[in-house]
Amino acid sequence: MMKWIFGIMTVMGIAVFIARGDGAGALNALVKGGESAVELSISLAGAYMLWMGIMKIADEAGLINKLAKLMKKPLRLVMPDAGDAAAPVTLNLAANFFGLGNAATPFGIEAMKKLDRGDGRASNDMAMFIALNSSAIELLPTSVIAVRTACCSASPYDVVLPTFIASVAAALAAIISCRLLGRVFK
Amino acid sequence: MKAANIAVPALVGILIVYALIKKVNVYKAFVDGAAEAVPQLIAILPYLAAMLGAISLLRASGAVEFFTGVMRPVTDRLGISPALVPLIALRPFSGSASLAMLKDILTEFGADSRVGRAASVLVGSTETVFYTTAVYFGAVGVTKTRHAIPAALISGAVGAAVGLLLVR
Repeated sequence: MMKWIFGIMTVMGIAVFIARGDGAGALNALVKGGESAVELSISLAGAYMLWMGIMKIADEAGLINKLAKLMKKPLRLVMPDAGDAAAPVTLNLAANFFGLGNAATPFGIEAMKKLDRGDGRASNDMAMFIALNSSAIELLPTSVIAVRTACCSASPYDVVLPTFIASVAAALAAIISCRLLGRVFK
Repeated sequence: MKAANIAVPALVGILIVYALIKKVNVYKAFVDGAAEAVPQLIAILPYLAAMLGAISLLRASGAVEFFTGVMRPVTDRLGISPALVPLIALRPFSGSASLAMLKDILTEFGADSRVGRAASVLVGSTETVFYTTAVYFGAVGVTKTRHAIPAALISGAVGAAVGLLLVR
Protein backbone atom coordinates (compact mmCIF):
# COMPACT_ATOMS: atom_id res chain seq x y z
CA MET A 1 0.00 0.00 0.00
CA MET A 2 2.70 2.45 1.06
CA LYS A 3 4.71 1.95 -2.14
CA TRP A 4 1.65 2.80 -4.23
CA ILE A 5 0.82 5.88 -2.19
CA PHE A 6 4.39 7.13 -2.34
CA GLY A 7 4.68 6.19 -6.02
CA ILE A 8 1.44 7.82 -7.11
CA MET A 9 2.08 10.98 -5.10
CA THR A 10 5.59 11.51 -6.44
CA VAL A 11 4.85 10.57 -10.07
CA MET A 12 1.76 12.79 -10.12
CA GLY A 13 3.68 15.68 -8.59
CA ILE A 14 6.65 15.32 -10.94
CA ALA A 15 4.36 14.99 -13.98
CA VAL A 16 2.56 18.24 -13.15
CA PHE A 17 5.87 20.04 -12.63
CA ILE A 18 7.29 18.78 -15.94
CA ALA A 19 4.07 19.69 -17.75
CA ARG A 20 4.64 23.21 -16.51
CA GLY A 21 8.27 23.08 -17.62
CA ASP A 22 9.56 23.49 -14.07
CA GLY A 23 11.76 20.47 -13.43
CA ALA A 24 13.87 22.22 -10.80
CA GLY A 25 10.72 23.02 -8.84
CA ALA A 26 9.98 19.33 -8.43
CA LEU A 27 13.42 18.61 -6.96
CA ASN A 28 13.21 21.66 -4.71
CA ALA A 29 9.89 20.46 -3.33
CA LEU A 30 11.30 16.99 -2.63
CA VAL A 31 14.37 18.40 -0.88
CA LYS A 32 12.16 20.72 1.13
CA GLY A 33 10.21 17.69 2.33
CA GLY A 34 13.42 16.07 3.51
CA GLU A 35 14.42 19.24 5.31
CA SER A 36 11.09 19.47 7.08
CA ALA A 37 11.53 15.83 8.13
CA VAL A 38 14.79 16.78 9.85
CA GLU A 39 13.27 19.88 11.45
CA LEU A 40 10.30 17.86 12.63
CA SER A 41 12.48 15.16 14.18
CA ILE A 42 14.48 17.75 16.06
CA SER A 43 11.39 19.53 17.34
CA LEU A 44 9.90 16.14 18.29
CA ALA A 45 13.05 15.07 20.12
CA GLY A 46 12.50 17.19 23.23
CA ALA A 47 8.98 16.05 23.98
CA TYR A 48 9.85 12.55 22.95
CA MET A 49 12.76 12.20 25.37
CA LEU A 50 10.68 13.76 28.16
CA TRP A 51 7.74 11.38 27.76
CA MET A 52 9.86 8.31 27.19
CA GLY A 53 11.74 9.16 30.38
CA ILE A 54 8.53 9.63 32.35
CA MET A 55 7.09 6.41 30.95
CA LYS A 56 10.20 4.53 32.02
CA ILE A 57 9.79 5.85 35.57
CA ALA A 58 6.17 4.68 35.56
CA ASP A 59 7.29 1.36 34.16
CA GLU A 60 9.88 0.74 36.88
CA ALA A 61 7.37 1.77 39.54
CA GLY A 62 5.15 -1.02 38.24
CA LEU A 63 2.42 1.32 37.05
CA ILE A 64 2.62 0.41 33.36
CA ASN A 65 2.01 -3.21 34.29
CA LYS A 66 -0.99 -2.25 36.39
CA LEU A 67 -2.43 -0.11 33.62
CA ALA A 68 -1.93 -2.92 31.11
CA LYS A 69 -3.76 -5.39 33.37
CA LEU A 70 -6.57 -2.92 33.90
CA MET A 71 -7.02 -2.14 30.20
CA LYS A 72 -6.47 -5.58 28.70
CA LYS A 73 -10.13 -6.59 28.95
CA PRO A 74 -11.78 -3.40 27.61
CA LEU A 75 -9.17 -3.11 24.85
CA ARG A 76 -9.81 -6.69 23.78
CA LEU A 77 -13.02 -5.49 22.14
CA VAL A 78 -11.10 -3.57 19.48
CA MET A 79 -7.57 -4.96 19.67
CA PRO A 80 -7.70 -8.64 20.66
CA ASP A 81 -3.93 -9.23 20.54
CA ALA A 82 -2.83 -6.01 22.25
CA GLY A 83 -0.95 -7.85 25.04
CA ASP A 84 1.95 -5.70 26.27
CA ALA A 85 0.80 -2.83 24.11
CA ALA A 86 -2.33 -2.28 26.23
CA ALA A 87 -0.64 0.34 28.43
CA PRO A 88 0.97 2.51 25.71
CA VAL A 89 -2.19 2.24 23.57
CA THR A 90 -4.24 3.53 26.51
CA LEU A 91 -1.75 6.32 27.21
CA ASN A 92 -1.76 7.32 23.53
CA LEU A 93 -5.56 7.45 23.31
CA ALA A 94 -5.75 9.34 26.62
CA ALA A 95 -3.10 11.86 25.54
CA ASN A 96 -4.95 12.42 22.28
CA PHE A 97 -8.25 12.78 24.12
CA PHE A 98 -6.87 15.48 26.40
CA GLY A 99 -5.13 17.25 23.52
CA LEU A 100 -1.54 16.45 24.53
CA GLY A 101 -0.34 15.88 20.99
CA ASN A 102 3.36 15.84 21.81
CA ALA A 103 2.87 13.15 24.45
CA ALA A 104 0.57 11.09 22.23
CA THR A 105 3.23 10.48 19.58
CA PRO A 106 5.85 8.86 21.88
CA PHE A 107 3.17 6.66 23.47
CA GLY A 108 1.90 5.74 20.01
CA ILE A 109 5.38 4.78 18.83
CA GLU A 110 5.85 2.66 21.95
CA ALA A 111 2.50 0.99 21.28
CA MET A 112 3.51 0.19 17.71
CA LYS A 113 6.79 -1.33 18.93
CA LYS A 114 4.90 -3.56 21.35
CA LEU A 115 2.39 -4.58 18.67
CA ASP A 116 5.08 -5.29 16.07
CA ARG A 117 5.99 -8.89 15.35
CA GLY A 118 9.05 -7.94 13.31
CA ASP A 119 7.78 -9.23 9.98
CA GLY A 120 7.50 -5.84 8.26
CA ARG A 121 3.75 -6.28 7.96
CA ALA A 122 0.90 -4.52 9.74
CA SER A 123 -1.10 -6.79 12.05
CA ASN A 124 -4.85 -6.34 12.44
CA ASP A 125 -4.24 -4.62 15.77
CA MET A 126 -1.67 -2.24 14.28
CA ALA A 127 -4.09 -1.26 11.51
CA MET A 128 -6.84 -0.78 14.10
CA PHE A 129 -4.55 1.42 16.18
CA ILE A 130 -3.67 3.62 13.18
CA ALA A 131 -7.31 3.87 12.10
CA LEU A 132 -8.47 4.75 15.63
CA ASN A 133 -5.76 7.41 15.85
CA SER A 134 -6.99 9.00 12.65
CA SER A 135 -10.47 9.52 14.08
CA ALA A 136 -9.00 12.28 16.29
CA ILE A 137 -11.29 11.89 19.32
CA GLU A 138 -10.49 14.87 21.46
CA LEU A 139 -12.19 16.54 24.43
CA LEU A 140 -11.35 20.00 23.09
CA PRO A 141 -9.99 20.60 19.57
CA THR A 142 -7.58 23.19 20.98
CA SER A 143 -5.82 24.25 17.77
CA VAL A 144 -9.13 24.82 15.97
CA ILE A 145 -10.48 26.83 18.92
CA ALA A 146 -7.31 28.90 18.90
CA VAL A 147 -7.72 29.72 15.19
CA ARG A 148 -11.42 30.54 15.70
CA THR A 149 -10.60 32.86 18.60
CA ALA A 150 -7.89 34.55 16.53
CA CYS A 151 -10.39 35.03 13.70
CA CYS A 152 -12.77 36.94 15.98
CA SER A 153 -15.37 34.24 16.46
CA ALA A 154 -18.18 35.33 18.80
CA SER A 155 -18.53 31.73 19.99
CA PRO A 156 -15.32 29.79 19.32
CA TYR A 157 -16.58 26.80 21.35
CA ASP A 158 -19.69 26.35 19.19
CA VAL A 159 -17.96 23.66 17.16
CA VAL A 160 -16.88 21.48 20.08
CA LEU A 161 -19.96 19.25 20.22
CA PRO A 162 -20.33 18.63 16.46
CA THR A 163 -16.57 17.98 16.27
CA PHE A 164 -16.84 15.43 19.05
CA ILE A 165 -19.84 13.67 17.50
CA ALA A 166 -18.08 13.58 14.11
CA SER A 167 -14.97 12.11 15.77
CA VAL A 168 -16.98 9.40 17.49
CA ALA A 169 -18.64 8.54 14.17
CA ALA A 170 -15.16 8.41 12.60
CA ALA A 171 -13.95 6.07 15.35
CA LEU A 172 -16.89 3.73 14.83
CA ALA A 173 -16.23 3.80 11.09
CA ALA A 174 -12.58 2.99 11.80
CA ILE A 175 -13.50 -0.04 13.90
CA ILE A 176 -16.06 -1.37 11.43
CA SER A 177 -13.93 -0.79 8.32
CA CYS A 178 -10.90 -2.40 10.01
CA ARG A 179 -12.93 -5.46 10.88
CA LEU A 180 -14.23 -5.80 7.32
CA LEU A 181 -11.08 -4.82 5.41
CA GLY A 182 -8.81 -6.95 7.58
CA ARG A 183 -10.18 -9.97 5.78
CA VAL A 184 -9.65 -8.47 2.34
CA PHE A 185 -6.03 -7.26 2.75
CA LYS A 186 -3.92 -10.27 3.56
CA MET B 1 -8.42 23.72 29.71
CA LYS B 2 -7.34 25.15 33.08
CA ALA B 3 -7.83 21.77 34.75
CA ALA B 4 -5.66 20.03 32.15
CA ASN B 5 -2.95 22.65 32.69
CA ILE B 6 -2.71 21.64 36.32
CA ALA B 7 -3.58 17.96 36.01
CA VAL B 8 -0.73 16.82 33.78
CA PRO B 9 2.22 18.32 35.68
CA ALA B 10 0.51 17.27 38.94
CA LEU B 11 0.24 13.69 37.68
CA VAL B 12 3.91 13.69 36.68
CA GLY B 13 4.83 15.01 40.15
CA ILE B 14 2.71 12.38 41.89
CA LEU B 15 4.24 9.71 39.67
CA ILE B 16 7.77 10.73 40.68
CA VAL B 17 6.87 10.75 44.39
CA TYR B 18 5.23 7.33 44.04
CA ALA B 19 8.27 5.95 42.17
CA LEU B 20 10.60 7.30 44.87
CA ILE B 21 8.51 5.56 47.55
CA LYS B 22 8.75 2.37 45.47
CA LYS B 23 12.56 2.85 45.64
CA VAL B 24 12.93 3.48 41.90
CA ASN B 25 16.06 5.35 40.85
CA VAL B 26 13.99 7.98 39.08
CA TYR B 27 16.97 9.78 37.59
CA LYS B 28 18.42 6.64 36.06
CA ALA B 29 15.02 5.48 34.85
CA PHE B 30 14.35 8.83 33.17
CA VAL B 31 17.72 8.80 31.43
CA ASP B 32 17.25 5.19 30.31
CA GLY B 33 13.88 6.04 28.84
CA ALA B 34 15.11 9.19 27.13
CA ALA B 35 18.06 7.27 25.68
CA GLU B 36 15.64 4.99 23.83
CA ALA B 37 14.03 8.02 22.21
CA VAL B 38 17.02 9.20 20.21
CA PRO B 39 17.76 6.11 18.06
CA GLN B 40 14.02 5.73 17.57
CA LEU B 41 13.75 9.20 16.06
CA ILE B 42 16.68 8.51 13.75
CA ALA B 43 14.97 5.30 12.63
CA ILE B 44 11.80 7.23 11.75
CA LEU B 45 13.64 10.00 9.90
CA PRO B 46 13.94 8.28 6.48
CA TYR B 47 10.24 7.39 6.51
CA LEU B 48 9.39 10.99 7.33
CA ALA B 49 11.72 12.24 4.58
CA ALA B 50 9.99 10.02 2.02
CA MET B 51 6.46 10.93 3.08
CA LEU B 52 7.04 14.64 3.66
CA GLY B 53 8.97 14.81 0.38
CA ALA B 54 6.05 13.30 -1.51
CA ILE B 55 3.57 15.56 0.32
CA SER B 56 5.64 18.68 -0.34
CA LEU B 57 5.95 17.75 -4.03
CA LEU B 58 2.23 17.13 -4.39
CA ARG B 59 1.34 20.37 -2.65
CA ALA B 60 3.79 22.52 -4.62
CA SER B 61 2.77 21.02 -7.95
CA GLY B 62 -0.81 22.19 -7.59
CA ALA B 63 -2.08 18.65 -8.11
CA VAL B 64 -4.41 19.07 -5.13
CA GLU B 65 -6.08 22.07 -6.77
CA PHE B 66 -6.31 20.17 -10.04
CA PHE B 67 -7.95 17.25 -8.28
CA THR B 68 -10.47 19.45 -6.45
CA GLY B 69 -11.30 21.07 -9.82
CA VAL B 70 -11.99 17.68 -11.36
CA MET B 71 -14.14 16.66 -8.39
CA ARG B 72 -16.11 19.91 -8.48
CA PRO B 73 -19.27 18.55 -10.22
CA VAL B 74 -19.47 15.72 -7.67
CA THR B 75 -18.89 17.93 -4.63
CA ASP B 76 -21.35 20.53 -5.95
CA ARG B 77 -24.00 17.89 -6.33
CA LEU B 78 -23.33 16.75 -2.74
CA GLY B 79 -23.88 20.33 -1.63
CA ILE B 80 -20.35 20.80 -0.29
CA SER B 81 -19.27 24.43 -0.43
CA PRO B 82 -16.46 24.95 -2.98
CA ALA B 83 -14.39 26.64 -0.27
CA LEU B 84 -14.31 23.41 1.75
CA VAL B 85 -13.21 21.04 -1.03
CA PRO B 86 -9.48 21.90 -1.03
CA LEU B 87 -9.53 21.67 2.77
CA ILE B 88 -11.00 18.16 2.65
CA ALA B 89 -8.47 17.13 0.00
CA LEU B 90 -5.51 18.55 1.91
CA ARG B 91 -6.45 17.48 5.42
CA PRO B 92 -5.01 13.92 5.32
CA PHE B 93 -1.65 15.24 4.10
CA SER B 94 -0.75 18.26 6.18
CA GLY B 95 -1.84 19.56 9.57
CA SER B 96 -0.14 22.94 9.31
CA ALA B 97 -1.45 23.53 5.77
CA SER B 98 -5.02 22.67 6.78
CA LEU B 99 -4.83 24.98 9.81
CA ALA B 100 -3.58 27.77 7.52
CA MET B 101 -6.42 27.06 5.11
CA LEU B 102 -8.91 27.05 7.99
CA LYS B 103 -7.66 30.49 8.96
CA ASP B 104 -8.15 31.74 5.37
CA ILE B 105 -11.69 30.37 5.26
CA LEU B 106 -12.59 31.88 8.64
CA THR B 107 -11.17 35.26 7.59
CA GLU B 108 -12.99 35.24 4.25
CA PHE B 109 -16.40 33.91 5.33
CA GLY B 110 -16.39 34.73 9.04
CA ALA B 111 -15.70 32.27 11.86
CA ASP B 112 -19.37 31.93 12.79
CA SER B 113 -20.70 31.52 9.24
CA ARG B 114 -21.92 28.11 8.20
CA VAL B 115 -18.87 27.51 6.00
CA GLY B 116 -16.59 28.69 8.82
CA ARG B 117 -18.14 26.34 11.35
CA ALA B 118 -18.11 23.45 8.87
CA ALA B 119 -14.41 24.03 8.16
CA SER B 120 -13.68 24.12 11.92
CA VAL B 121 -15.48 20.82 12.50
CA LEU B 122 -13.72 19.24 9.50
CA VAL B 123 -10.26 20.14 10.76
CA GLY B 124 -11.07 19.20 14.36
CA SER B 125 -12.60 15.81 13.69
CA THR B 126 -10.05 14.44 11.22
CA GLU B 127 -6.35 13.69 11.34
CA THR B 128 -3.30 13.94 9.08
CA VAL B 129 -3.54 10.28 8.12
CA PHE B 130 -0.48 10.09 5.86
CA TYR B 131 1.80 11.78 8.36
CA THR B 132 0.75 9.68 11.38
CA THR B 133 0.95 6.52 9.30
CA ALA B 134 4.49 7.36 8.18
CA VAL B 135 5.61 8.04 11.76
CA TYR B 136 3.95 5.04 13.38
CA PHE B 137 4.75 2.46 10.74
CA GLY B 138 8.20 4.01 10.26
CA ALA B 139 8.92 3.40 13.94
CA VAL B 140 8.67 -0.35 13.40
CA GLY B 141 9.86 -0.47 9.79
CA VAL B 142 6.53 -1.73 8.51
CA THR B 143 5.99 -1.09 4.78
CA LYS B 144 3.18 -3.59 4.19
CA THR B 145 0.51 -1.48 5.81
CA ARG B 146 -2.42 -3.62 4.58
CA HIS B 147 -5.81 -2.06 5.33
CA ALA B 148 -4.53 0.61 7.75
CA ILE B 149 -4.65 3.53 5.32
CA PRO B 150 -7.94 2.61 3.59
CA ALA B 151 -9.59 2.18 7.01
CA ALA B 152 -8.11 5.46 8.24
CA LEU B 153 -9.33 7.28 5.12
CA ILE B 154 -12.82 5.76 5.38
CA SER B 155 -12.90 6.84 9.02
CA GLY B 156 -11.84 10.34 7.98
CA ALA B 157 -14.46 10.49 5.23
CA VAL B 158 -17.19 9.40 7.67
CA GLY B 159 -15.99 11.98 10.20
CA ALA B 160 -16.04 14.71 7.54
CA ALA B 161 -19.47 13.68 6.26
CA VAL B 162 -21.01 13.61 9.76
CA GLY B 163 -19.36 16.93 10.54
CA LEU B 164 -20.79 18.52 7.40
CA LEU B 165 -24.26 17.16 8.16
CA LEU B 166 -24.17 18.47 11.74
CA VAL B 167 -23.46 22.10 10.83
CA ARG B 168 -25.97 22.15 8.00
